[in-house]
Amino acid sequence: MRPIITLTIVGLIAAALLATVEDLTREPIALAKAEMKRKAIEEIFPFGIDSLKNVETPKTKFYEAYDKKGVLKGIAVESATTLGYSGKIEILLGVSPEKKIFDYKVVYHLETPGLGDKIDKPKYKEQFRGRALEGTVWKVKKDGGEIDELTAATISSRAVTDAVERGLKYINEQYPNSEGK
Amino acid sequence: MNEALNILTRGFVRENPVTKMLLGLCPVLAVTTSAVNGLGMGLATTFVLLGSNIVISLTAKVIPDTVRIPAFVLVIATFVTIVDLLIKAYSPELNQALGIFIPLIVVNCMILGRAEAFASRNGIWYSVIDAVGMGIGFTLALFVLSAFREVLGSGTIFNMPLVGEDASTILVFALPPGAFAGLGLIIAGLNALEKKKGGK
Amino acid sequence: MQELFLVIISAVFVNNVVFARFLGICPYLGVSKNLDTAIGMGFAVTFVMTVATAITYVLQKAVLVPFGIEFMQTVMFILVIASLVQLVEIVLKKVSKSLYSSLGIYLPLITTNCAILGMALIAIQEDYDLLTSVVFAFFSAMGFILAIVMFAGIRIKLEEADVPAPFKNVPIGFISAAILSLAFMGFSGLVK
Repeated sequence: MRPIITLTIVGLIAAALLATVEDLTREPIALAKAEMKRKAIEEIFPFGIDSLKNVETPKTKFYEAYDKKGVLKGIAVESATTLGYSGKIEILLGVSPEKKIFDYKVVYHLETPGLGDKIDKPKYKEQFRGRALEGTVWKVKKDGGEIDELTAATISSRAVTDAVERGLKYINEQYPNSEGK
Repeated sequence: MNEALNILTRGFVRENPVTKMLLGLCPVLAVTTSAVNGLGMGLATTFVLLGSNIVISLTAKVIPDTVRIPAFVLVIATFVTIVDLLIKAYSPELNQALGIFIPLIVVNCMILGRAEAFASRNGIWYSVIDAVGMGIGFTLALFVLSAFREVLGSGTIFNMPLVGEDASTILVFALPPGAFAGLGLIIAGLNALEKKKGGK
Repeated sequence: MQELFLVIISAVFVNNVVFARFLGICPYLGVSKNLDTAIGMGFAVTFVMTVATAITYVLQKAVLVPFGIEFMQTVMFILVIASLVQLVEIVLKKVSKSLYSSLGIYLPLITTNCAILGMALIAIQEDYDLLTSVVFAFFSAMGFILAIVMFAGIRIKLEEADVPAPFKNVPIGFISAAILSLAFMGFSGLVK
């Protein structure tokens, strides 16, 4: 009996201690998460953000970026693809209010270092700038489209193209008018 | 004083938990892709080791023998959760880099090993020193392996580039095989050194 | 069904527990010296890993999340695993004394096998459903057995080979593991 009582006491003390620490860290953790999100979004927009508005839909999450005067300067959307060489690739895509691409950031991937992971390098991302859903054939050149693929990383290139196109589609659905409303 | 110094330093090389005792290997291989990650993991593990050594050293006498191991594991798991929450709150980048290996600190055989072999049989002062010594040894091993892998595999150190943007690096070291090979080479190197020292 | 198949191939080859995920290294090195012990350990790990993943999954979905106590995950999961291992020990003692004694100290060490806790955590992270989680755990354990058995075979041959002194035993073991890991990387394009 005594062993079980001791173990239970240890368990209760542990639970109490952890509940306290969890309570103390809950806000810092939420703040840290929001900060990381904000940093990632700031990276893809060429302007400074004053405030962000989160819009969550069953499909994905959007982030509207406003400047000091409350003018909408850009929209970021979370997109993903399962077509990566090593599986899932998640990106954060940033577009202007006219739904032209600013940039994107690969938030999660398991692509081959040195080959597929170049999809997050500025050199590769350059070609996406200014493109919109309409007016671009969203396939890699090998498949008859307009997007350059990385040497020896066609699959990763295809995958990120898919993710970008999907992101643009989400944006078009959510913001059907051209001023981002 | 001599005894304390001995306890402190034996974890560095002589009884290094990683290279000599082969404990806690999973994180050693998985998170050593960059020096920052290696250091971060080392420090997090040392924190847990310190906490658990202290608590176990203080309470070992009142815990019945039959539930000794579950009780130790409970204590260790508690400290792991604390360090997990602290990292999530104050260093989210480290959290992203180390991933599931933070909660996996709980199954780092080094921590349970020290609790069983030392902390439960010694006073708090020596247990603290033991934790610090072993922690330093562990962090040292992690740091050496991760620096090795980062420099050769990614061409950077502490995320600062050492070679030009398009220079080739020995990629394999940043990947799983390189982890195994790197650790094997380090241990072989230490073995060779030890033999030389012993031979003299 | 096809998704399940992909999970299986991924678990055994592409994301092999030992060679790709770096889990279960301690027993991998310790037990792979002897083929019989290796297989026995493999089965014990398979059982614990599969059952533990199932139980922890239910625990997470039915208790931890609804009550908002996700922070108790590490503590509760490891307690589940420790209890399961204790159970296996008791049963094994009664049912097969020989296996029990040949596994020796490695049996309680299954608790600290990072692969078991690791897989349980990954199953939750990947947001699999219960069936997929269990299949995932079971076949990851198969991958573990594959790794151990291959390794045991190699190590037995290495004993007879002329290995340079500093590399004897452990270091050459790691180098072999490196080569095996390199080989397994060849599987990575398999799962689309």
